[in-house]
Amino acid sequence: MEKLDIPQGTLDLMILTILARETMHGYGISQRLAVLSHDQFHVNPGSLFPSLYRLEQDGKLKAEWRPTENNRRAKYYRLTASGRRQLERHRERWNRVSFAVSSVLEGA
Amino acid sequence: MTLLHRLASILRWIVHRDDAEQDLHDEVQAFVEMTAADKMRDGASAAEAQRNAVLDLGGVEQTIERVRAGRHGAWLDDVGRDVRYALRTCARNPGFSAVVVITLALGIGANTAIFSLVDTMMLRSLPVRQPEQLVELLFRYPRDPRLNMYPWNHYERFRDQNHVFSDLVAMSARSGRFQVTGPTYGPEVVDGMYVSGNFFEALGLQPAIGRLISPEESQIGSPRATVAVITWSYWQSRFNLDPTVLGKRLVVDNLPITIIGVTRPEFFGLQLGMDPPLWMPLAVEPLLQKPSRLLDGSALVTVVGRLKTGVTREQAAAEMRVLDRQRLADLEARSHDVQWRSVKMEVEPAGAGLSILRDRFASALLLMMAAVGVLMLLACVNVASMLLARSAARRREMAMRVALGAGRLRIIRQVLTESLLLSTLGGGCGVLLAYFCAHALVKIIGSGRSPVGMPQPLQIPVHLDLRVLLFAAGAAVATGVLFGVVPAWHAFVSAPSSSLREIGGAGETRSGRRFAQALVIAQVALSVILLSAAAVFVRHLTAVRTVGLGFQTNSILQVSLDWSRGGYKPAQIGPLSREVLDRLTSIAGVRSATLAGMTPISGAAGSRFISVNGFTENSDDRRRVALNTVAPRYFETLGTPFIAGRDFAPEDEGRARVAIVNAAMARYYFGTNSPLGHQFTIEGQTRPLEIIGVVGDAKYFDLHETPPRTIYMNAFQGSGPWIFVLRTDVPPMSVVPHVRSIVYDTLPNVPIAKITTLVEQVDASILPERLIAMLSGLFGALAAMLVAIGLYGLLAYTVTRRVKEIGLRIAIGATGRDVIGMVLTSALGLVSVGLIIGVPMALWMKGYAVNVLATLAATQVEAPIILPVNLVVPVVIAVIAMVGLALVASYVPARRAMKVDPIAALRTE
Repeated sequence: MEKLDIPQGTLDLMILTILARETMHGYGISQRLAVLSHDQFHVNPGSLFPSLYRLEQDGKLKAEWRPTENNRRAKYYRLTASGRRQLERHRERWNRVSFAVSSVLEGA
Repeated sequence: MTLLHRLASILRWIVHRDDAEQDLHDEVQAFVEMTAADKMRDGASAAEAQRNAVLDLGGVEQTIERVRAGRHGAWLDDVGRDVRYALRTCARNPGFSAVVVITLALGIGANTAIFSLVDTMMLRSLPVRQPEQLVELLFRYPRDPRLNMYPWNHYERFRDQNHVFSDLVAMSARSGRFQVTGPTYGPEVVDGMYVSGNFFEALGLQPAIGRLISPEESQIGSPRATVAVITWSYWQSRFNLDPTVLGKRLVVDNLPITIIGVTRPEFFGLQLGMDPPLWMPLAVEPLLQKPSRLLDGSALVTVVGRLKTGVTREQAAAEMRVLDRQRLADLEARSHDVQWRSVKMEVEPAGAGLSILRDRFASALLLMMAAVGVLMLLACVNVASMLLARSAARRREMAMRVALGAGRLRIIRQVLTESLLLSTLGGGCGVLLAYFCAHALVKIIGSGRSPVGMPQPLQIPVHLDLRVLLFAAGAAVATGVLFGVVPAWHAFVSAPSSSLREIGGAGETRSGRRFAQALVIAQVALSVILLSAAAVFVRHLTAVRTVGLGFQTNSILQVSLDWSRGGYKPAQIGPLSREVLDRLTSIAGVRSATLAGMTPISGAAGSRFISVNGFTENSDDRRRVALNTVAPRYFETLGTPFIAGRDFAPEDEGRARVAIVNAAMARYYFGTNSPLGHQFTIEGQTRPLEIIGVVGDAKYFDLHETPPRTIYMNAFQGSGPWIFVLRTDVPPMSVVPHVRSIVYDTLPNVPIAKITTLVEQVDASILPERLIAMLSGLFGALAAMLVAIGLYGLLAYTVTRRVKEIGLRIAIGATGRDVIGMVLTSALGLVSVGLIIGVPMALWMKGYAVNVLATLAATQVEAPIILPVNLVVPVVIAVIAMVGLALVASYVPARRAMKVDPIAALRTE
């Protein structure tokens, strides 16, 4: 089956959701995204980084270099308080959007 | 918060750029390694895993570039790159960049300097509450400038009886200054201003410390009025900003005065050009001045009102004219002068200060503003044509960049960045230039004859304030865009079409060359206008200085003494003056010397009504006659010709009173008959004077007037003091040391008050004309220089581009003369087209020039002589200058063309 493109604007939401559970590096995020979406999404890692950098610039994420379990060095991202608030807002909005869309679809 | 984070991170990105780049690189690399490690666990070989990992990612560099482009503030990187690139380009052609920056600096600097004067003298509002409501009351006696001076009692009447002003305030600068002794300094001489008690309140002014003069201090002559407010700068210079200054005593002309407050730093009063440090209530005047000029009605006050909401200036004027009738009737009755009947009060805006200086300089300043505007346009065109020539030379570079994938917008932005960088540099230098020029201009304006009642020199607070700097910045950006758009557009159009295959010779597009030619033509046209204008004003200045003067200004030295010192009685002044005069005559190099009560165009004047025996005149036709008292040899010294009769003689002293009249006076009272031997009486005197001579008409008060009817009386039949007037055979200032030593020898206690030449005195009276002539001359010269640069640049460039063609022509037999002819023809062709466009525009300007000159003259006297303005000669001068410039500008390129070596030129292929 052909993989789906990530809907516009939801990549940030997914990144924030994943990071809300644990601190993680870029590769980990892309792996987790694939697993959680049952491999439905076509995640281009190249588009992950610009999102991470912008979120960091906006103060939603904080990054630091740490060794991985395999003794490599990787940049780990974690959610800031402001990022957590943004996640709440976005999630609530997403819930409303998906509820509205499925209501329309079921009602039709 | 988010915004703050962003700014901080953008800043970090800029400051720690290398760290951030390294970080990004490491992170992407780590990602690739982790991907590869997973793939190897799944069984791929190391090389394959690595390759697939990079493929999955979509390329390491590409990813990094996407992050860079996606970051906030990514545009800053682009701008930074553009600016760095532009700086490198400029640094690579330092000569070119310098010429562009200097051209722009001249344009922007000249504009900023003139604008700062316009701003100070005409636009800037006074630092008071709602300045737009302020008006002043003006009237104009025929032949005089407009005045704002009213007797105190009439001011009181205006204030109490009008219905149009919410406040009417009065102020008066005492003629003569105050002697002030402070707690720790003095005595010193200080300018002071009397103001009505409501002055500060009505203007809505607040003190820096203490309080300002209030209506409490309005009762005339009350001891409560012995208070003063000092200005910030005086507080600073004399009290070191010490706040305990409040309550301290100043002794002002022997009267103790209490300091009650200090004005704010921006306060200088209502009259630009004056900044008196000492402000006192008008009510204190009777205590300081005995007898009080306020109470005897001889004190005149300047009146400023604040219009009630909803009242227009016209309504106010209508009411005030009615209230003013009584004053005019008083004046007419007292002076028997019917001309007062025609005087009408005017109500003029005063929100930008009182009008005296504006009246005098406004038309000159606006004219200069127009001239610098044209100069700026010219500078823009010039720079645009230089950039265009260069952009043509850089077309291969542009084509290369397009081929490597640069977008058109990217290229346009690059070119605009370059021009904005140049214009910013030019603007910066221009502001520096403006700073010095504005101060020089203020100095020149200060050297002029100050209007009546104003200090000499004028104190004009020109500074480059925010508005002026904004103007300069606006001018810089506007020029940057204006001259940058053309090359940018050119790059846009030509870059894709031109290919890398193209080589030097044939690469130039026809439209590009046409456009460059059009720019040079425009420069010629604009500078013809400026040059003709300059020639008009310089010629006019010469005419004002010389036509119909009636005396010769050259080689005249004037010396006046301060007789208030030395303790001589008035009766002694005559004999002592004659003694000094005799000794001055003996100085080597002095051809003649004389005495005069006043000298021409000094700003002083005296006039009286007279009655001539046997001449009856309608009382409506009576006019005052100008008066002067002069010693023998006055006319010889000044160069005024004798028409009939004899000069005064020393022997006249003690005999019947005699007078010499000018031709205008003789004509008016005696027609074609000889006035010699006739008698007349000056109003208010009983003893008649007998006319013993007639001299030519000479200008008296102002260069713009027709010489008035004038009577000269014998100095030795009257009393001094007089001015010593010397005509020299050597430069007049060179005899000054002798003059000083003679005066010191004869009168050791009498200091010399003033030494000037007559030329200086006359020049001081026509400052606006001189300013216009000087500046328009300067701007015209700059314009011509810019055209020469522009033309040279275009020709040199054309010759370079056509080297092959020229080489070919020479190879098939063209002589050096043919080649020179070719270059000259193209130069003269451009200039001719420019002249064909520019000359009609220059001629069309005549009406405007006449208008400006008439306005200038009219600010000085009411019925000025308007000198004819002839534009043919100036335009011819400008045309000759342009053709001459074209020849000069084409000399070097033409020689270079002639020296082209055909073999070398053809081999470059």
